[in-house]
Amino acid sequence: MRPRKLSRRSTGADAVFEHGARAVGASVLVITGGVGVFLAWQAYPTLKRYGLSFFTESQWAPDQDVIGIAAVLTGTVSVALVAMAFAFPLSVLVALYISEYAPARIRSTLVSLVDLMAAVPSIVYGLWGFFLIMPYAAELALWLQRNFGWVPFFKVENTDPDAAVWDTSRYVASAFCAGIAVAMMVMPMACAVMRQVFSQTPQGEKEAALALGATRWGMVTSVVLPFGRGGIIGGTMLGLGRALGETIAVVLIVSPAFEIKPRILEVGTSTVSSLIAGRFGEASTSQLSALLAAGFVLFVITLIVNTLAAVVVNRSRSGAGTDA
Amino acid sequence: MNRLPARLLLSLLVSLSCVLAMPGASHAAVYAQIEGTGSTWSQLIVEQWIADVDANGMKVVYTGGGSSKGRKDFSQKSTDFAISEIPYQGTDEQGNADTSNGREYSYLPIVAGGTAFTYQLKIGDKPVRNLRLSGETIAKIFTNKITNWSDPAITKDNNGRALPSLDITPVVRADGSGTTAQFTTWMDKEFPSVWRPFFGRSGLTSYYPRKGRAIAQAGSDQVMNTISGFAGNGTIGYVEYSYPVNKDYPVVKVLNKAGYFVEPTDYNVAVALTKAKINRDKSSALYLTQILDGVYRNADPRAYPVSSYSYMVIPTGKTDSRMTTAKRQTLADFLYYSLCSGQTKAGDFGYSPLPVNLVQAGFEQIGKLKQADPAVNLSNRDVRSCNNPTFDGKNLNKNKLAEVAPQPAACDKTGAGPCGTETGQNKPSTDGGGAATPDANTPAAPGGGGAAAPSAPGGGAPPAVDPATGEVAAPTGDTGTAEEVYANPTELAAERPIDSKTFGWLAAVLAVGIVVLPGVYAASLRRRRRPGGAR
Repeated sequence: MRPRKLSRRSTGADAVFEHGARAVGASVLVITGGVGVFLAWQAYPTLKRYGLSFFTESQWAPDQDVIGIAAVLTGTVSVALVAMAFAFPLSVLVALYISEYAPARIRSTLVSLVDLMAAVPSIVYGLWGFFLIMPYAAELALWLQRNFGWVPFFKVENTDPDAAVWDTSRYVASAFCAGIAVAMMVMPMACAVMRQVFSQTPQGEKEAALALGATRWGMVTSVVLPFGRGGIIGGTMLGLGRALGETIAVVLIVSPAFEIKPRILEVGTSTVSSLIAGRFGEASTSQLSALLAAGFVLFVITLIVNTLAAVVVNRSRSGAGTDA
Repeated sequence: MNRLPARLLLSLLVSLSCVLAMPGASHAAVYAQIEGTGSTWSQLIVEQWIADVDANGMKVVYTGGGSSKGRKDFSQKSTDFAISEIPYQGTDEQGNADTSNGREYSYLPIVAGGTAFTYQLKIGDKPVRNLRLSGETIAKIFTNKITNWSDPAITKDNNGRALPSLDITPVVRADGSGTTAQFTTWMDKEFPSVWRPFFGRSGLTSYYPRKGRAIAQAGSDQVMNTISGFAGNGTIGYVEYSYPVNKDYPVVKVLNKAGYFVEPTDYNVAVALTKAKINRDKSSALYLTQILDGVYRNADPRAYPVSSYSYMVIPTGKTDSRMTTAKRQTLADFLYYSLCSGQTKAGDFGYSPLPVNLVQAGFEQIGKLKQADPAVNLSNRDVRSCNNPTFDGKNLNKNKLAEVAPQPAACDKTGAGPCGTETGQNKPSTDGGGAATPDANTPAAPGGGGAAAPSAPGGGAPPAVDPATGEVAAPTGDTGTAEEVYANPTELAAERPIDSKTFGWLAAVLAVGIVVLPGVYAASLRRRRRPGGAR
């Protein structure tokens, strides 16, 4: 006798809900895919025309028919790395303080304050960076060059840090200055992810550590941080993804220069998104295609970074780090 | 409950129908919001006009963005007008179309002005405010041939007065800009041997080829911000004269063909532009556009060489899908205000009013809006009723402003001075009060300024000689008595790096201390409060 056939098909309201949810869920994929396909479609003429030189050429001079994203990609990465260098320690420490140290009554205030930072429009961070932070960032850059000038990326060319009057204009509008402003935008996002993961640390293990005589710091290092390792990495990479694409603040702060420049303290750099924002308004059809090709490359990079971040965050949910 | 919304709706409908019925009424025009983008060169005066007409119910939105963007937005029908320094180029540098995409349009001059070279240069802590440069020196600075403020060419332009040894940082436009186009046109026409090897080609460009130490910034305001910013010492950039006037920043006095160094005041611009060749061929697509070769070489001692007009591009097509009667009416009335009363404000803002013949030609162009749409009301628009400062009441072709323009001060001549008057104040630098005849008051001590200036700062000259003008006890008139700033370009030995290293590390230790010390202090307090860790 054959067993009774079980139908997995849902009926009635269930079916409506299932299909509705599936359609809505699919729309996210359709939109993201649509963006990718649109960019790829628009980028095709440019990629075909310039070929590999699109990735190796550093100049962006549409009026001389020379177009390449080597310089802007370097700039994008250096701004993002500077941003993460500031945002990473800040967000880890803030998340730890909020989840482990802060008194319960101010915890919610702190959380909403950090969230408020995320709500501030990026143009405000741009103006803040341009008018308020840049003078001090320039002095910090001078100090870094003076004392760590032997590190290749702290070098500033054609200027003497020990000159009687320092050459201020060489130290402003740099990837370093832009990175500081971007760090402030990235921090709340990374912090939120980390805080969430830290707060998922099993209460029992934390209490066990304390019961064994650990100080609170000992408990954090032995339980919370290992458990939250995935969250820290994931949050950082989500932040990195955002830092790669940050636009208006960068447009306001940097002075566009199309050179492959690992020297982050030196004036002038350009990022993919600031290039698009700066040149979009006056672009002709073929220039637009070139800009969208640059955008396509950025899209792919951001997609990879964010996907990696999502994978890492998902893995960390199991608390695998604490098993050992 | 239901009554109130119904009444509201009714009143709304009534008022709406009133508005809709307006075109028939003759007493009040119906306006609709118009939008435009383009030049940041003329943005300051346009924004003032917009603020002025707002009281009359005209809503005009102008967002700048650069001339290239203005022309492109107009061609894509995303704006109702554009402002650009240069006309549509047919094809741009890359061979792409730079046309209106078939949208019908007319050019219309809206304001004149001088492209000023503003700078920040400090000696000690005092800003230099009376720098003068020849056109060739300027071209060489922006093509990275002259890279230091103590360069002999600059010293020579300033009659032997040396500036500190400081690297020059040119600030150029990063976006497609009409200011850049005007500036490079001037360099290409006047100094091709300097400009062409640097650019690699001949001709103008809207995108400045940034090289070397130059810093690029988008938009005139960002260029101005960079120059006036904390890191601006040693920078020089090109913007419309209104920007430095607004920020109280000095501008370079540029050498003209008559051998005088002049500032782009409204007078000097008006004088220079009397030699502008305007395309008078009404059938030409470039009707009313400018050819400025004569301006660059204008031999009048008052002429500012880098002067030009700014143009509005207006849609004149009958079937223009973006335009409505209300929009055309708004545009026409806005332009009427701009070309008439608006011009009286030009001088104060660092621009120069249009001569009346161009205003009249502009009126004819506005008339094309009525040809496109007969419902547009253009009655009572006459040039003669226009309150224009260049108009002397009779001869339309005369520019009154250019005739009353004061002669430059004697100390502004090559080989004399330099004058101590501050630039960027929107005041003419002149010897007499009003209009003076050229060279009437020849300096009594022509050699005195030249020989004494470099070595004798300020009051070193004999007491009878005015230190500012080099003139013997002459009535100073508008000539300010500002103190001159001098420098001896001496290279100081660099400070000993060992010192700064010590202080550098001290700074690092302090920074760590600021973060850590409060915690340590709090911990020690707690420990003291509970002696021996009471358990």
